[in-house]
Amino acid sequence: MNTLELVTLEEERAVQAFLLREARLLDEDRWDDWLLMVSERIHYWMPGIENRRREDARGGFNAEHMALFDDGYRELQRRVARFKQPSAWAEDPPTRNVHLISNIEVYAGENPGEYRAFSCFVNVRSRGLDEQYQIAGRREDVLCREGDGLKLLSRRILIPNATLPCKNINTFL
Amino acid sequence: MNKVLLCQRDELAPGSLKKVPNAEVGDICVYNLDGRYYATADLCTHATASLAEGDLDDDLITCPVHWGQFHVPTGRAVTFPCERHLRTYRVIVTDREVYADVAAEAEEALADADPAGAGSPV
Amino acid sequence: MMDKPTTTLKAIESTPPLADLDRICDMQEGRMAGKIFWDSEIYEQELEKIFARCWLFVAHESQIPEPGDYVATTLGEDEVLVVRQKDRSIKVLINACPHRGNKVCFAEAGNARGFICNYHGWAFGPDGALRGMHESGVYEQSGFDKSRQGLREARVDSYKGLVFATFAADAPSLADYLGPMTWYLDVILDNDEGGTEFIGGCIRSTYECNWKIAAENFVGDILHAGWTHDSAAQAMLGGSVTKVSELPESYQVNWNGHGYEFARDLVGNAAVLGESAINKYLHLHSPKAAERLGEFRARMLGAVSSFTVFPNFSFLPGQNTVRVWQPRGPNKIELYTWVIVNRNAPAEVKEKWRRGAMMTFSPTGVFEMDDGENWEYCTKTSRGKVTRYQDLYVGLGMNSRLSDTELPGNVFRGQLNEANARAYYQRWKDLLQARTWAEVPDRNGKLD
Repeated sequence: MNTLELVTLEEERAVQAFLLREARLLDEDRWDDWLLMVSERIHYWMPGIENRRREDARGGFNAEHMALFDDGYRELQRRVARFKQPSAWAEDPPTRNVHLISNIEVYAGENPGEYRAFSCFVNVRSRGLDEQYQIAGRREDVLCREGDGLKLLSRRILIPNATLPCKNINTFL
Repeated sequence: MNKVLLCQRDELAPGSLKKVPNAEVGDICVYNLDGRYYATADLCTHATASLAEGDLDDDLITCPVHWGQFHVPTGRAVTFPCERHLRTYRVIVTDREVYADVAAEAEEALADADPAGAGSPV
Repeated sequence: MMDKPTTTLKAIESTPPLADLDRICDMQEGRMAGKIFWDSEIYEQELEKIFARCWLFVAHESQIPEPGDYVATTLGEDEVLVVRQKDRSIKVLINACPHRGNKVCFAEAGNARGFICNYHGWAFGPDGALRGMHESGVYEQSGFDKSRQGLREARVDSYKGLVFATFAADAPSLADYLGPMTWYLDVILDNDEGGTEFIGGCIRSTYECNWKIAAENFVGDILHAGWTHDSAAQAMLGGSVTKVSELPESYQVNWNGHGYEFARDLVGNAAVLGESAINKYLHLHSPKAAERLGEFRARMLGAVSSFTVFPNFSFLPGQNTVRVWQPRGPNKIELYTWVIVNRNAPAEVKEKWRRGAMMTFSPTGVFEMDDGENWEYCTKTSRGKVTRYQDLYVGLGMNSRLSDTELPGNVFRGQLNEANARAYYQRWKDLLQARTWAEVPDRNGKLD
């Protein structure tokens, strides 16, 4: 495990603000604004979780396994494009989201101008009159400086569920 | 000395094992670990099981039933659920044959800091 | 230990059929009642008369290549382990200890020397034989017979890599069960000499819908695609879904409730993945496939098409998603999905399919999002006591049967058709009315 190097309070505050703003944009269905926070070099990864025994060297997830997200920028753009279609029937009336972000830890990244950020999330979605879905998980992000601000360069999302307790994930986490 | 024939030397390839029935002291399991022969009781000390039906990985024998393990040269129980050590027998190798002295423990077992059977939880 | 017999499976008792099946399902009239999706009595009948009797998909052989490899799945709601044996055969064992019934394996997949019950330490070999117990001495004093206490086995057979199992001793052979539909299954399973494999393991999700609405969608409902999936097509292709009514040649084909609906446009399904490497692979591979399958089927590889093997095993050619709609009550399913590829396909093409299936038909897939919403509400509206008894129309394509065709099975003109849906629900009804397999009528050649 690499040693984790703390950053200045100012930098830490900037990263926290980034993560919280990102959550707010998602809750407000501002997908295009959200995409602006994402680097075009993004790897946005949420592996499927396997329920394997402890001695199994494969572990609970790996890069070869099917994923829920294993996206580059083009894939994220395509997902956003669907959300925005008038014929996205399952988004109309809209899904209402709350993204709670917590347990934020900010450290220096591998390269200059990069940050490594750990966080937890609880996403609560409601649809229709009474549908409610909750997914919680842990994220590990790399943020980088691009242009005049921070961008999301990579994200790994781990949920504890080996079976998704709902029919889909029609949001970003 | 109480000498019991276990097998012909060329009968047991390195990495293999076999059960030798013995009514007097109980069935014996004979092992060829990389050219060296060892003998232990065949009956697992945890529950009824023939170790000769288990898997040999280097010098550990894994019981086929609950997958507990013993260290073959010393008889030491090393993996759950095996806790009581395995009885070992001193091996005598002649030109062609492998014998056990069923009156004696293996030298490795005697040299082991925690002798087989002694002080192990029951 | 292979020769030790496990205990024979006890057959469950056959209960009388439901009295109101004609009211629930009348395919001659092309109608059914919403109750078919919302009723616990129907569901119990289905578990008994369909899931305990039919051949159900359990695994692809590539998931368990080595002795001791296993995957866990379910036959209906019965939990089973699919285990590769030392002699390379495959056994399907009920994942419940014959002592108090506890689950003996909690992992979804792995490699094991066997299975040990956590409760009393009963230890089973990979063949299901009981090898021993913790405190074995006590059992020996009671005259305990280990050979009678193995994990219970289902019947197993496979077709070109797909492994199926059934609990029914009187079920027809898998070959008879699939009948001439194997000619169509070969489009996916046998278009290359290397055969197929599953890649990337299993993704599971949960829908609040009846299992049949999903299976029926894949048995023959391309009709929904142009409307339901417009948003996904716009996102992936920047345009609408292929207008199926304008495809020059398309069919629905069924047999014993299995159904394939297809066009011959080679890449219509595959195109929505938005990956040119996949289209290129299909175009290059089609002539090679033609050598094995002939020109007709070589044009079906990634075409606009879908398939359900009755009752709950489905796939989409082109998107290469394979799935089982696992019943979990009258209005709940667990969806198990896998990705199937030709074993000899280039690694980068396989990877495109792994991601492409995720991007389109998975819980995060842009196509599947809108399916899920539809299926849940097709189910939930029948909560209404009155709504439940209203007719649902299943009449499209009556009298579209083709008699002058050499294609195997019951063949119907045009993909925009409900012939396969009618055959599917007819088979459902026939099974629910029959107390034994011998009583199940042969409808083939008689459907219209």
